[in-house]
Amino acid sequence: MGAGNRLAGALTFVMPLAALVLIWAVVVPAFQVRPQIFPSVAAVIGAGLAGLRDGSLLTHAATSLARVAIGTVLAVLVAVPLGILMGISRGLSAFLTPLLRFFSVLAGIAWIPIATLWFGYGFGAIVFVIFNAVFFVVVYNTLLGVSTIPMPLRHAAASLGAGRRAMLSDVLLPGALPNIVTGIRTGLGFAWRGLIAAEMIATNVGLGYMLFVARDFYQTEVIVLGMIVIGALWLSIDRLLLAPLERATIERWGLVRA
Amino acid sequence: MKTLSLKSLSKTYFDLYAGSHHTALHDISLDVPAGEFVAIVGPSGCGKSTILNMVAGFIAPSGGEILVGGEPVRGPGADRGVVFQSFALFPWKTVLENVGFGPKMRGVPKAERDEIARDYLGLVGLAHAADRYPNELSGGMQQRVGVVRALANEPDILLMDEPFASVDAQTRMTLQEELTRIWEDRRPTVVFITHDVPEAVFLANRVVVLSKGRILEQVEVPLARPRVWDRLVEDDAFKSLSNKVLALVRAA
Ligand SMILES: Nc1ncnc2c1ncn2[C@@H]1O[C@H](COP(=O)(O)OP(=O)(O)OP(=O)(O)O)[C@@H](O)[C@H]1O
Ligand SMILES: [Mg+2]
Repeated sequence: MGAGNRLAGALTFVMPLAALVLIWAVVVPAFQVRPQIFPSVAAVIGAGLAGLRDGSLLTHAATSLARVAIGTVLAVLVAVPLGILMGISRGLSAFLTPLLRFFSVLAGIAWIPIATLWFGYGFGAIVFVIFNAVFFVVVYNTLLGVSTIPMPLRHAAASLGAGRRAMLSDVLLPGALPNIVTGIRTGLGFAWRGLIAAEMIATNVGLGYMLFVARDFYQTEVIVLGMIVIGALWLSIDRLLLAPLERATIERWGLVRA
Repeated sequence: MKTLSLKSLSKTYFDLYAGSHHTALHDISLDVPAGEFVAIVGPSGCGKSTILNMVAGFIAPSGGEILVGGEPVRGPGADRGVVFQSFALFPWKTVLENVGFGPKMRGVPKAERDEIARDYLGLVGLAHAADRYPNELSGGMQQRVGVVRALANEPDILLMDEPFASVDAQTRMTLQEELTRIWEDRRPTVVFITHDVPEAVFLANRVVVLSKGRILEQVEVPLARPRVWDRLVEDDAFKSLSNKVLALVRAA
């Protein structure tokens, strides 16, 4: 993709969002919408600047991001080895698959009540919820990735003298990588939603919390600001971090799977 | 280079769909002296791949024994290099890394194995493609990489299962000529599976005709080397040998 194309791509992505802001800027004053119902563009910008000035916005955002990062990294570290083990052991996979199916339905916010009982309100409970959101999807996708590696590749490696370790590092892991990345991408999407919900209930800092308390004071401009930050952060993570990661490796290998 | 011998080898599969056992190979005995090029031909389903997969160690025999250099086969190993019909190159490794994979498994340091890989790639005119990924190569180029990847590991025995079946006729002839040239140069023991009779006669010292899981006949190919298609297509000895093998395969 050339620089021109990329710019065009970015434009087609940003244009509809810009249009939405434009409609908002026109509609709110035109119908004299009360600020308790929906804020004006200027009020939200004001809230954003205020939040930046006193540092609270950054604190909330950074806390949320850190929770997601830690929960995700922990989940991936456990999920990928487990998925690979399941991929090479039929018995383990047969035993764990029903459990995996069951828990992946529950993944995310259904865990919040019990998480607060186990970990109390705060960091532990929220990281646990994120871990759950990411873990099951990544295990499942890793398993899928390993089982779709063509048998001849494993045979080829064995015939070239690969032992267990080399099979893992040079065949199973890279072979499953496209699916692992897909799993992380999907899992992070779940995690991000789960995070906001968990933060509304189980903590006193973070973007979800920021939204939730603003409601008590009818601060619609803070609520909308929070919503925008949540959406924008996710889009940036996905487009600037995860998508390029896929492009840099997997597409060049010709492994992109639909 | 090592000898390969199959002693009363048999294989029975359990057919999941039919729910019954099916004997794909009966009592196969075959000796391949070190440095010989043997081709196995036969109609589809006669058990060619089954033999090769057992020699490679991918599947276990139901009866009999496979000896490589006198030692029984107990699984895949670097002494037996395999060239696959589907190429089976690692998509996440560059061409150079693919070819250097065997040496890497032997613990050869990076600089040295890169040099080995480059030498082998040069052998098939692919030095320029060293840094590309397999999916950036044509089928013919990929199979050249597949062949030299197996060779670069210096196996005692080279096992090839219809390696040239999925490339176009033109490229196939070039690959066949390259393979004979490399074989004359290094003399590995080769077991080459194909259902293309002229290919078998062109390449091999001996053609084994398989029929319904048994060896029907073995035909010696005393044609002079180096063998090139331009000369052999007109060659009477080549033609009559091909016809002889073809008749056997059709009767099989
Ligand atoms: N995994 C398996 N399970 C059951 N039956 C099998 C299995 N693999 C092969 N067979 C059967 O064994 C017989 C020999 O198969 P094999 O693949 O060795 O034939 P082949 O000579 O290589 O054929 P082709 O030329 O089509 O590749 C066939 O009847 C096949 O259906
Ligand atoms: Mg076959």
